Amino acid sequence: MVAEMTSKETLISKVLILEPETGPTDELKAFCDAHQLVGLKVHKDSLGAVLRTNVDLGGILFSEEYGGSPAENARLALLIHSLRPELPLILRLSTHKALEELPDNLRHLFCAGYDIEHIDRLAEAVDRFIFCLIYPNALLRGIAEITIQVLESQFPRLEILRETPSIVNDRVIVGEVFSLIPLESGWCRGYMMLQTKAGSLLDVSGSLGPPSTSANIRIVNDRMSEITNLIWGAFKNKYVGDTSLPRNFQVQVPLIVNHAQKYISFGTENPQLCFGFRLRDPSAGVSLDIHQRFIFNLNWSPEMFSEISQDVDTMIDSGELELF
Amino acid sequence: MAKILIVDDSSTVRDEVSTFLKSSGLDVITAVDGKDGLSKLQGDPGIRLVVADVNMPNMDGLTMVEKIRKDLRNTAVNLIMLTTENSAAMKERGKAAGVKGWIVKPFKGAAVLETFKKLVA
Repeated sequence: MVAEMTSKETLISKVLILEPETGPTDELKAFCDAHQLVGLKVHKDSLGAVLRTNVDLGGILFSEEYGGSPAENARLALLIHSLRPELPLILRLSTHKALEELPDNLRHLFCAGYDIEHIDRLAEAVDRFIFCLIYPNALLRGIAEITIQVLESQFPRLEILRETPSIVNDRVIVGEVFSLIPLESGWCRGYMMLQTKAGSLLDVSGSLGPPSTSANIRIVNDRMSEITNLIWGAFKNKYVGDTSLPRNFQVQVPLIVNHAQKYISFGTENPQLCFGFRLRDPSAGVSLDIHQRFIFNLNWSPEMFSEISQDVDTMIDSGELELF
Repeated sequence: MAKILIVDDSSTVRDEVSTFLKSSGLDVITAVDGKDGLSKLQGDPGIRLVVADVNMPNMDGLTMVEKIRKDLRNTAVNLIMLTTENSAAMKERGKAAGVKGWIVKPFKGAAVLETFKKLVA
């Protein structure tokens, strides 16, 4: 059966809006609403701080008028490029007619340009640089269901909130601990990554003391490992099954981790599929954010996606013993 | 008393399962992977039930149970898999190796306790 394919009805992407006070705010707001973008307007004085702290971003919409002068605009564009080079930077042209008219040292910073009278060009850029991969709706729903079931089994007392899945282009490592596990099938090859803050994980686990003690390091690592393993297993059972793997199974690319920059690259420019979960214990006043990302860097063939159907008569619930 | 050997690379699972079984009056020892599991089994003739994960480093659980079953000293040992895996092919391989049952994680102790008690009786 061909899976229902659409990303934009069920996915969002968070973008920074870098416009002056006099910019076309209403037009851009309407555009964001119509294109599943969550716009975050940023004043230029706080741009550096926002770029250093915001995660799960899909891209940046930058205006030629943002800096107030060509020199300040150039400084800000170079700042963005130095801090977050992986984010698609889309320029709203007002002084120039096309990106090609920009000085050489600035032109390469932008992936696309548009003017407000031709906002369809912005739509093309968003489709090309943010929503460029198609995800089956069944996969989006299934991942969320699987993950919530696992989190409920591991944290039975906690309330679990789920964010709308999003497309992200940043490569930022969130928190102190992350896990990676390969996903291998005939229709996808890549990784699932879980990221979180060690202190928050300890808080919701009821552990005392700082995250740096050897006992707490072990708790954090073991918890992350088990959550990852359970999600991976459920993913395999639901979407991979016993299918044979493709011939190009041996292909790999290096993953690069830059500890100083808290940056991880999977060797592809493809955006990542991100799910966010918040676990809360209102009575104790503690919470835990888990960032779950899917990076299909080695193969993505959603047209071959399928769910494994199980014979209802032979289905066994998880945790039940199936005797042979 | 007959013992249960829990073989899992996840210390969370080892702790969770062994704590539950011990609190239910069962005698439990643990191993961290297939190699360790074989070693612990060979060193303790009191083990009557092995509960093993499939995906483990050094030696996977299915390879371990195949080795256990080939060794004639282990004919009284019962084998159960406790794993995230749920594929028919893996279950077939487990059955062929003499595995008595299959549990898909997460572990729910109450659902399996009586069977475990019978298997170590």
